Amino acid sequence: MDIVSSLGLGFSVALQPTNLLACFIGVFIGTLVGVLPGIGPVSAMALLLPVTLSGSPEAGIIMMSGIYYGSMYGGSTTSILVNIPGEAASVVTCIDGHEMAKQGRAGPALGMAALGSFIAGTAAIIMLMLVAPSLSRFAVAFGPAEYFSLMVLGLMLLAFMTQGSIAKALLMACIGIVLGLIGIDQITAQSRLTFDKLELLDGIGLVPVVMGLFGVAEILSNLEKAIRREIVSSNVGSLMPTREDWQRSAGPLTRGTVLGFFLGVLPGGGAVIASFASYAIEKRLSKTPERFGKGAIEGVAGPEAANNAAAGGAFIPLMTLGIPPNVVMALLLGAFVVHGLQPGPLMMTQNPQVFWGIVASMYIGNVMLLVLNMPLIGLWIRVLRVRYAILFPLILMFCIVGVFASGNAVFDVLIMTLFGVLGYLFRKFGYEPAPLVLAFVLGPMLENNLRKALILSQGDLMTFVQRPISATCLALATLCLLAAVLPGLAAKREVIAQDQS
Amino acid sequence: MARRAVVALPGDKRVVRSSEFWGGLFWLAVGAFVVWAGRDLGLGKINDPGSGFALFWIGLLMLALSASVLVASFRSPGASLASLWSGTRWAKVLLVVSLLVAYGFAFEPIGLIPCTLALLLILMLFVDPINWWTAFIISVVAVFGVWATFTKALKIQLPAGILAPWLG
Repeated sequence: MDIVSSLGLGFSVALQPTNLLACFIGVFIGTLVGVLPGIGPVSAMALLLPVTLSGSPEAGIIMMSGIYYGSMYGGSTTSILVNIPGEAASVVTCIDGHEMAKQGRAGPALGMAALGSFIAGTAAIIMLMLVAPSLSRFAVAFGPAEYFSLMVLGLMLLAFMTQGSIAKALLMACIGIVLGLIGIDQITAQSRLTFDKLELLDGIGLVPVVMGLFGVAEILSNLEKAIRREIVSSNVGSLMPTREDWQRSAGPLTRGTVLGFFLGVLPGGGAVIASFASYAIEKRLSKTPERFGKGAIEGVAGPEAANNAAAGGAFIPLMTLGIPPNVVMALLLGAFVVHGLQPGPLMMTQNPQVFWGIVASMYIGNVMLLVLNMPLIGLWIRVLRVRYAILFPLILMFCIVGVFASGNAVFDVLIMTLFGVLGYLFRKFGYEPAPLVLAFVLGPMLENNLRKALILSQGDLMTFVQRPISATCLALATLCLLAAVLPGLAAKREVIAQDQS
Repeated sequence: MARRAVVALPGDKRVVRSSEFWGGLFWLAVGAFVVWAGRDLGLGKINDPGSGFALFWIGLLMLALSASVLVASFRSPGASLASLWSGTRWAKVLLVVSLLVAYGFAFEPIGLIPCTLALLLILMLFVDPINWWTAFIISVVAVFGVWATFTKALKIQLPAGILAPWLG
């Protein structure tokens, strides 16, 4: 099937009324959680995972994807108006976006964020559409050794990109793998680390872990300090950027899109890194770098394009290899599995309607987001005025009900509380939870592929270095580790981490 | 940030109070447990790895990584344990965690509606207080809204608890 007919199939799926509704609900909720500080796309997707069970797989995954790229749009609103990032990928938008708002240019800043996101999001889907089929043909040749090494590389990259100490990030990844291995061993049927608890035989659920580490922990951390929000203006004026704004933003939009897409594809990269990298590049390339930090529209256009393009790019490793490059995609993998689908090289041939349906829904979703964001800014501002004292009990309630509904077990609510406390302590002690969650999802696959590779090679460890793809992945993983440990490079990594924090 | 030139000794008070030190020590213990659990489950052979094979090696990696965190804490002890909580509203965090644990145990026997209503009211009235009537209206609307959405619209079972005779 060529791309045009595949896309035609995709649109025939995405334009079905149920899928259109799922897409709308997804992008609406995504924008809402993007706007609201204190709840991010990860928590929202985990929360809605059980809700998607009642519909078709396409509808469920279209909704979950919509939440992700929708949150990238919504996050900028809070950054610009309140100077608090709605979600992590919008941190840099605060710098110039809020300055623009203080100078009475909130409208063009919001407009550029929405339009820039639309342009980059759409371009990323086109690139996804062009790259994914050829990569998936290449991925069919992957065996257990290649998958194992690729997952090691993914975890190493995420640990490398994580703020602070690499040892702590790798420790988190190890804990994640151990947690992922709890339950019955798939090969020997032996129970592992279950402490004679029946509830643990099936392992720990992804939803309670994610809701605890990201939802409850975020609330506990926010409760520690009194949150004060100052909304710059409720009247944002015209949203359309001026001709001069467009001239200044054309370069940053293009560069942000390309950079964001490729960083999104890399395991461990994703939207956050992409937005920071784009801001740094634009500042360096600018003829007037002194304007950055004082309301330069390039500082909004570049990072917003980059984070949306990264959100699109992140679908590639999941769709073609079945390996999630970041926590959000790990959750989406969970959604695929719940619906009995296995993303990977064969998905495009076995379930073309799912793959192309999602791609087509992203085009529709991006248009919906543009239509939704421009006129609904006023509504988002009103949402932002809701006090945190009212919001956090409601978020907590949704966490509890969502977690219970995902497994129909009270045990999961207690697990969520436990991971909430752990997540809170991790933040206190400077341990990032993202590598833990990714490793938690990859853990069982990693172990399975390691054991299969060893059985197939009759115990020859050289199999990992004799196969070219596997060897390349392991070499890159080693490079990452060396780069983090070598004093010169470690110092540079530290600077990036400090910039991010 | 400039690194301290002087390396602290293990007995140094800065190290003993350091959050990095205690964090490293905790993970060292967890790593040791994982190694033990891996061995206990059986390592198998290299051409046929057992259930404990991966756990054992990951445990060893954890031991090495936590040892490096410990060593780093001697070089730069970082923030003390107490300073992590000084000036914060930690009592509120403790209250919310206690409420969640209590909720977890009461949820099934008492039911979603009474438990969640109580949880929301306590959170809105005592943790970060708002008007009691606002708290009451929001709690009632939210709890009954969630109940109706999940059980009626999405057909997801939620525990009715003591209200089972009325809710069916």
